[in-house]
Amino acid sequence: MRCFRHPLAAVLMAVLLVGGLAMPAAHAANVTLRMAAVTEVVAGILSYARWPDSGKATAGGLQLCVVGPTEYADALLQSGNPASRWRDDVKRLAVDDYEITAGCHALYVGVIDDQESQQLFSRIQGSHILSISERNDSCAMGSMFCLNIEDGLVTFDVNLDAVARSGVKVHLHVLKLGRRTSRP
Amino acid sequence: MTSQQEHPSARARTLNSVLRRTHFKVALIALALAGLSLTLVGLLALRAYSSHNLLLVARSISYTAEAAVVFRDAEAAIESVRLIAEPEEVASVRIIDRQGEELVNWENMQSGLLPKVERLISRILQPSPVIMPIMHDDASVGQLELVGSGKGLLSFLINGLLLLGACLLLSAVGASRLSRSVIQGIAQPLRNLAKVAHSVRYHGTFDHRVPPADIVELNELGKDFNDLLDEVEAWRAHLHEENAVLSHRASHDSLTGLANREFLRTRLNREIRGADEQGQRLALMYMDCDRFKYINDTFGHGAGDDVLKTLATRLHGQLRKNDLLARMGGDEFAAVISPYYQIEDLHEIACNIQEAAAIPIKLTNGHIVAVSLSIGIAVFPDDAQTMDGLLEVADAMMYRAKRSSSDERRAAHFANMDAITE
Repeated sequence: MRCFRHPLAAVLMAVLLVGGLAMPAAHAANVTLRMAAVTEVVAGILSYARWPDSGKATAGGLQLCVVGPTEYADALLQSGNPASRWRDDVKRLAVDDYEITAGCHALYVGVIDDQESQQLFSRIQGSHILSISERNDSCAMGSMFCLNIEDGLVTFDVNLDAVARSGVKVHLHVLKLGRRTSRP
Repeated sequence: MTSQQEHPSARARTLNSVLRRTHFKVALIALALAGLSLTLVGLLALRAYSSHNLLLVARSISYTAEAAVVFRDAEAAIESVRLIAEPEEVASVRIIDRQGEELVNWENMQSGLLPKVERLISRILQPSPVIMPIMHDDASVGQLELVGSGKGLLSFLINGLLLLGACLLLSAVGASRLSRSVIQGIAQPLRNLAKVAHSVRYHGTFDHRVPPADIVELNELGKDFNDLLDEVEAWRAHLHEENAVLSHRASHDSLTGLANREFLRTRLNREIRGADEQGQRLALMYMDCDRFKYINDTFGHGAGDDVLKTLATRLHGQLRKNDLLARMGGDEFAAVISPYYQIEDLHEIACNIQEAAAIPIKLTNGHIVAVSLSIGIAVFPDDAQTMDGLLEVADAMMYRAKRSSSDERRAAHFANMDAITE
């Protein structure tokens, strides 16, 4: 790193440092806000999805599972029950857990690396699982929805190809709302 | 006739203006009633449709924007609102999300024509905006508030009023046309009537009659008026005739048809005045039938009358056209000879008269009698300057002739004969 030759640059640096000290509190507040927004969006997407009768048992309600390290899924895990048709408890599973294909109707995917992602998405293909990723580039790897999390605003992209192949029916309104990403 | 009738007040109007006003008023009232009630009914119907339409628009927006509201995507929400509301009669759309925060507040900027008036009319006609919950999975995810623009209502109102105005204009023209044609039917006969009445009243002419009219009542009136005119004319003619007869009877002798004494006196008086002014002479001739009493006594009064009538005819034949012959009473006749030029003329006239009178007269009972006349002549201004003087002199001269010997009888007697002949 180069030395600050200009006094003004030193002042600027100081200001930035002070700002950095103040950040954790603000960051915490932002995380809470974002978490609420993420929870809302996930609930919204799930509410617009329909699962075919064949396949997994839906007797006790639909099951939402969370895999991988997540930043904003805490609220989802705590409050659970995004809609009336869903089971109260949200399962946290490992990326390679076989229960995913057998017992989950929807999957909230945390931040996992590209290889894990590709394996996961190719594995759940055709098992009637709706996938939502926290990483906004994972639509390119086969996730149906991927979130763009910004301050106060959570939007999502849709991988129409993955939606079509999943066998889950998603309402046109939601598909239209999502920014479409091209298939990789 | 009172003075009020003769001079109608300044507020009196012609039949034409009264009719036109009446027609116009009737047309105005009818049109206003029909037009306004139609407009009102139309407005109510349109309002119902407009409300319904607004509800449909609201439902569409609620459906289209549902997902956007669920995900609180203001951009997508406003897009769907614009997509649906812009072409419709919507003034503003507001969407509130679950948390009560305003997601969309869109106002239609296209409402160019009098937006304030539109808003006002919309507020009057559509008191409450449409408020509708946005439902998702049987739960309300937000609320939609829709305010109609009332553009359709306004344009309907404006068009209706314009049409009403145009109809009013048309009906005014129509009313004026109509009243003109009615005037032809009513005023023309009345004018004819007035013209005839005027000509009778001021010119006394009865030769005009009211022509027949198309309207029954006016035709009857005209006919009655004509009949009345006929009666008045007949009555007037009768009166004229009666007057003529009476005045003739007052101034003429009923037996011979000659003028009577009164008439002669009047005429003589006038002639004297005329002669005096012109410096002329005139003569008064008195004639008396010599044997009249004898004829009367011998052959009866009928014979006397025959003689008088015959004499009257013969004497009249001897006089000039302008001279006046009158019967003074009994067997006395008098003639005013005016003007005359020479004394010889008088002489000749007197001789001719005596000769004519001397021709025997055949009475109705078959007898033939002969009479002779005694004649006295007085000349103005030589013998007398006044009428009474002339009458006296002529009378006196005539008696002198009667008393004179039979050989002289044939000559008429002149007063101041010497003076004249010289």
